[in-house]
Amino acid sequence: MIEFDKFTLDNGLKVIVHKDTTTPLAAVNIIYNIGAKDEDPEQTGFAHLFEHLMFGGSVNIPNYDEPLQQVGGDNNAWTSNDVTNYYLTVPKENLETGFWLESDRMLSLAFTEKSLEVQKAVVIEEFKQHYFNQPYGDVWLHLRPLAYKKHPYQWSTIGKCLEHIENAQLQDVKDFFFHHYAPNNAVLVVAGNVETDEVKQLAEKWFGPIERREVAERNLPIEPKQTEFRSLHLERDVPYDAIYMTFHMGSRNGKDFYKVDLLSDILSNGQSSRIFQTLIKEKNLFSSIDAYLTGDFEPGLFVISGKLTEGVSMEGAEIAIWEVLDEVCATKANDYELQKVKNKIESSLVFSEISFLNKAMNIAQHAITGQAEDINLEVEKYNKVTTDDLQAMAQEILIKKNCSTLYYHAKKQ
Amino acid sequence: MEKLNRNLPPQFKTIEHVDIPKSKQQVLSNKIPIHIISGGSQDVLKIELIFNAGLWYQKSPLVAGTCNAMLNEGTENYTAAELAKKFDFYGAYISYNNSQHDASICLYTLNKYLNETMDLLEEIIKRPVFPEKEFKTILSNKKQNYLVNREKANALAKEKFNSLVYGDTHPYANIFEAKAFDDVQLEDIKKFYKDFYTSDNCRIIVSGKMDESVITKIEDRFGTASWNTKASIVDTKHQLINSTEKKVFVHKKDAVQSSIRIGRPLFNKTHKDFAGIMLLNLVLGGYFGSRLMQNIREDKGYTYGINSLLLSHLKSGHFAIITEVGTDVCDAAMSEIYKEIKRLREELIPEEELNLVKNFFSGEMLRSFDSPFALSESLKGNLPFGFDNSYYETFLQKIKETSSEKIMELANAYFKEEDLYEVVVGEIKA
Repeated sequence: MIEFDKFTLDNGLKVIVHKDTTTPLAAVNIIYNIGAKDEDPEQTGFAHLFEHLMFGGSVNIPNYDEPLQQVGGDNNAWTSNDVTNYYLTVPKENLETGFWLESDRMLSLAFTEKSLEVQKAVVIEEFKQHYFNQPYGDVWLHLRPLAYKKHPYQWSTIGKCLEHIENAQLQDVKDFFFHHYAPNNAVLVVAGNVETDEVKQLAEKWFGPIERREVAERNLPIEPKQTEFRSLHLERDVPYDAIYMTFHMGSRNGKDFYKVDLLSDILSNGQSSRIFQTLIKEKNLFSSIDAYLTGDFEPGLFVISGKLTEGVSMEGAEIAIWEVLDEVCATKANDYELQKVKNKIESSLVFSEISFLNKAMNIAQHAITGQAEDINLEVEKYNKVTTDDLQAMAQEILIKKNCSTLYYHAKKQ
Repeated sequence: MEKLNRNLPPQFKTIEHVDIPKSKQQVLSNKIPIHIISGGSQDVLKIELIFNAGLWYQKSPLVAGTCNAMLNEGTENYTAAELAKKFDFYGAYISYNNSQHDASICLYTLNKYLNETMDLLEEIIKRPVFPEKEFKTILSNKKQNYLVNREKANALAKEKFNSLVYGDTHPYANIFEAKAFDDVQLEDIKKFYKDFYTSDNCRIIVSGKMDESVITKIEDRFGTASWNTKASIVDTKHQLINSTEKKVFVHKKDAVQSSIRIGRPLFNKTHKDFAGIMLLNLVLGGYFGSRLMQNIREDKGYTYGINSLLLSHLKSGHFAIITEVGTDVCDAAMSEIYKEIKRLREELIPEEELNLVKNFFSGEMLRSFDSPFALSESLKGNLPFGFDNSYYETFLQKIKETSSEKIMELANAYFKEEDLYEVVVGEIKA
């Protein structure tokens, strides 16, 4: 049970405080309800590029990092298809520095040409490093557009291509900021060795004066239901064949999420899971293989990705995966197996609550889509899932016409 | 109400002292030392058994790591599948770590299943059987991972750099060919287990929320009598060979970035100059505000990231700058790196910058000792050197006392350009 206090400022900023006195530190986490899915299809990668620009100085503070490091703080950020999240940790005595920095960059940025030019170059190098200079690095650049035909999840947070990043202009950056970055489009979570009264006073002082903004209305295209099997073959300079399969499923907040999550756990969480035992240990068809959910806020994907053992044919490997999937459709899991994955979930939640920063991020993610209280209902929701639910989900999701498969072939030497 | 002045930073406090919770040391009846770090908010425990069974002690490649990884692949009483099922059912995690000198098995468990998970831990440590089939599967999968990894420019750069500073055959370089996977013998793995996974070659660190009963449970399973054969471990000798070749280029076809490593062999954390070098490393490339990051990423945009590090091995160590930069800017990036090192030799670090780095470092100390598990991790790193975590308290004092003059002196002693090794892996030679 994670306890917290919450309140909302007049400008719409939601604030949540979680007290954890076992640490001498405090975390300030701000999540903005803006992600890659909100981008123009001709200007992808923008939300993530923008995240970089948030460190390029704000309207009253020329350098974000220096004053934070000066007080012993550290920070980072990440962008997903759904949200952009900024976090910092400081010794608890220096909490106010965090408020000063975060509120100023919510107020407005410095918007300099220099920062834009440099960060465009940095992001292009990031793109190359992660997507082009790694074996199998470009998989998601192809898998997303195979699975999504209409919905903006068809591109990665890094963007569709280098050109979109190269083309970004300062005016676009400004427009983006004032349409999406606003107190009424964010949640602030403060966790660690802090008092609610102190946080309240600091929030009023630093965030209170920022005016509410008109936030661009979100009107995302709906992905039409997939009705037939899709496939794509790629050939690359990699040592081994690989296979990637996606299946459409519901959203993170949907009622079925917990069922599908446990279904994926039965298949692939831990060394005792079906996929690991059957495909790696018994049949030696894969050197590694995983099943997992993207966990997106809009309807997301159930993913299976595996690297084939040398000498195994793509057809053979694919058939073997389908055999495991067909079995989970045809036969109910046994109670021990279900209890096992429930225990594992409960345990992973307990371990994740060791870190105050982790707790801050988890609370923020619950608060931005639903309500913070949901974080304490997770275990209960998982516990309600039955073996019938698992089978029903498998029959609905893990079927051929809901599947897109990318065959990643190793180029013959 | 007073007008808010957003240009002025709020008042702050400098961290003068980091309070590092002390670990307690006891000895089990069979003489196994056990270090206890009690605390935390969650009802969880981490129990790590550490053996002197790392790469240092193996006679041929892959033996130490394979032995460690196979402990849970079947025991006298359970198959690998049964073990996996039980650990998963109790929501426990088990990790296997193999490093240059140590090898360890680490159990993360909920307190409420402690009896059950410790029984399993005892089983895998005392009664593994190393089945042939699992042995083949593991090696075949490891070999594939190895070959995938060799497609990465940074992995090639790391290997080449290590071979220059330690020598191809030294365990700190840990270099081997793909063929080594086919040559490992199961008998060697079994013998390695017998020789090194013994009660008189073991130490334990337990951390998390606990009372006395936890220690009793550990004593019952691991402490009452000596187990496995009595070890007579002779400390193996390995010769360090620093290459005379200082600059190496490795061609990697179609690479869109070049992977760079620049550095040198250096002393480890027992050396009197280590605190000073640590500070020097921080200023150069040890944090986001470092000179390399600010210059090469934040000013020039040549890279997604650049950093430098100090690595302390028990009998040596090294310093390295690591980055991946666009092929077209590789030359320019290299010249900026050398320029920044030269600047450290020739100019005093301004007081303001030095203070910032010291403050940042104090904050890092708070962050790195923030949970019992984090404390156990740093204790594990300290024990082989004969230190416990109180080492860091004096270390922080030494950091605070280090002056700009001292740092410049160290830069001139240790960061001479002619002493640096340089590896570039990419499409075009820099």
